[in-house]
Amino acid sequence: MSDEGTEGIAPDSRPEGAPAPIPARGPVPAPSTPAAPRPLRLRDLGAAAARLLHLQALLTPDRMQGPGFAFAMIPVLRRLYPDRDRLAEALARHTSYVATHPLLAGYVLGAAARLEAKRAAGQPMDGARIDAIKRALASPLAAWGDPFFWVVLRPLAGLVGVLGIAAFGPADPTAPDLRVLLCPLLLLLTYNALALPARWSGVGAGYASAETPGDVLRSLRLAEWREVLERGGAFLFGGLLALLGAGLHAAALAQGSGYGPVVAALVPLTLGFAAARAALRRRASANVEVAITLLALAGLASLAL
Amino acid sequence: MIIDFLRIAFLGGMLSVDRGAGWNLLLSQPLVGASLAGALVRPEPELELWALRIPIAVGALLQLLLTNAALPAAQRPHDTATAGVVGSSVAILGMSHLHAAIPSSAGGLLWVVVGVASGLVAAVAGGWVQGLHRLASAADTRRAAQLAAAGDTGGFERLYLLSLVRLFGLGALWTWCGTLVLLAGALALLPRFSEFVTTRRIGFLFAVLLGVALASAAETHLRGVRRGGRWALAGAAAAVSLLLALTRGNA
Repeated sequence: MSDEGTEGIAPDSRPEGAPAPIPARGPVPAPSTPAAPRPLRLRDLGAAAARLLHLQALLTPDRMQGPGFAFAMIPVLRRLYPDRDRLAEALARHTSYVATHPLLAGYVLGAAARLEAKRAAGQPMDGARIDAIKRALASPLAAWGDPFFWVVLRPLAGLVGVLGIAAFGPADPTAPDLRVLLCPLLLLLTYNALALPARWSGVGAGYASAETPGDVLRSLRLAEWREVLERGGAFLFGGLLALLGAGLHAAALAQGSGYGPVVAALVPLTLGFAAARAALRRRASANVEVAITLLALAGLASLAL
Repeated sequence: MIIDFLRIAFLGGMLSVDRGAGWNLLLSQPLVGASLAGALVRPEPELELWALRIPIAVGALLQLLLTNAALPAAQRPHDTATAGVVGSSVAILGMSHLHAAIPSSAGGLLWVVVGVASGLVAAVAGGWVQGLHRLASAADTRRAAQLAAAGDTGGFERLYLLSLVRLFGLGALWTWCGTLVLLAGALALLPRFSEFVTTRRIGFLFAVLLGVALASAAETHLRGVRRGGRWALAGAAAAVSLLLALTRGNA
């Protein structure tokens, strides 16, 4: 078996300027002796997958999700490396820079677990190769996962929740408004119907095709799905506008006062829309600042009414 | 009221963990947070129905306003997780304390506007508070690397779990403090300006806010989408057809 890469963390071979390792607390452990490798169990993979839920608790720009990934790998590494030195080497390796999408991190974890198992069993697999395969999976998953989950699916799920409020209409004024439960539930179901399967199937899929990351990436087809959901978002937004218009029409009919009040409401609405649209075209991600500024200006303008 | 604050602080902490730690179940979306806060905060019995209705409107507007289609790295560090909770709580508790002094003649719209404004301010200030976690994380990451190199898995796990607890604690503390400060501001300012609070003015502000929210949603759902306008028109046509069919069915 090749031991290349296992000695990188030993104190005498640290790179210059690297921080000194902290000695373990408590009694000094006995010198480690090579222990027989133990096979990985489903339970270990399950524990690691559950820990992935906390992947980003220690997120920093220099290592991104590295500490979280190492935290998730601990059940696997403890099982595979009873020997403390080898455990330290593997843990330090997984603490290094990892940047992937949190919901798709299972693919990277599954692949890394499989490769570590091969290494622990004495098959030809060195630390550098494990790192290379990890990176080959992690970066494309981030590049495809972020636009799919954050840019398209999350806003779409929010829109479905808001659409529920408009679609189910005002409730009976004398009864509790059940939309307070229904609409958040719609949002959660829309998003998690896609996100949870992606999260839980990742570990198994990554483990199965650990050495062929291209197969995993090709099987996801996130780019195609993204286009479909983008169009779905535009479709639902149109539906929301129509429902709001229908709500105003119904209010005008119910009041019996004609469309005068509706037009009076549409003027500030249109002004707010146009001003915000113009501001957001210039400063795309400043939604909150634009809203606060326009609300303050509207407050001042309302004094003239 | 102390029990209400404990409840919303716990909720804020949980939502911060959902957003910050990587659970990403989307509990931290403003619509969900505002609705949960509405279910947890208990005003007087005669206002309980309003306490369920107002959070829906606050949550919906904040959902549209705080949704950003930019990639996470390009977004401003706003705390969208607790904004809904703070906005909804300020609206309900403000209404509970001031409904005698400022009657909600506009069907609760005043408290919706107050809640959305509070939520927007809370999103900006909460982003600064979350910066504390990012600062502490930088130091913890260095320590974690040292523990990993020493093979101290127990120490590594303790450090990591501590950062999770910090994330929860900061979220809970900010939700508590943010709600308290913004509620105190509303209680101090609104009675002084009660003569300016008219149904017409509140309606005007609400309409502007709705327009801004729709513009934000249009940026998110139409910009950069191939034939986005056509798909939106198709959606509007489908909704109108559905409504007409339902109306005919009822008739």
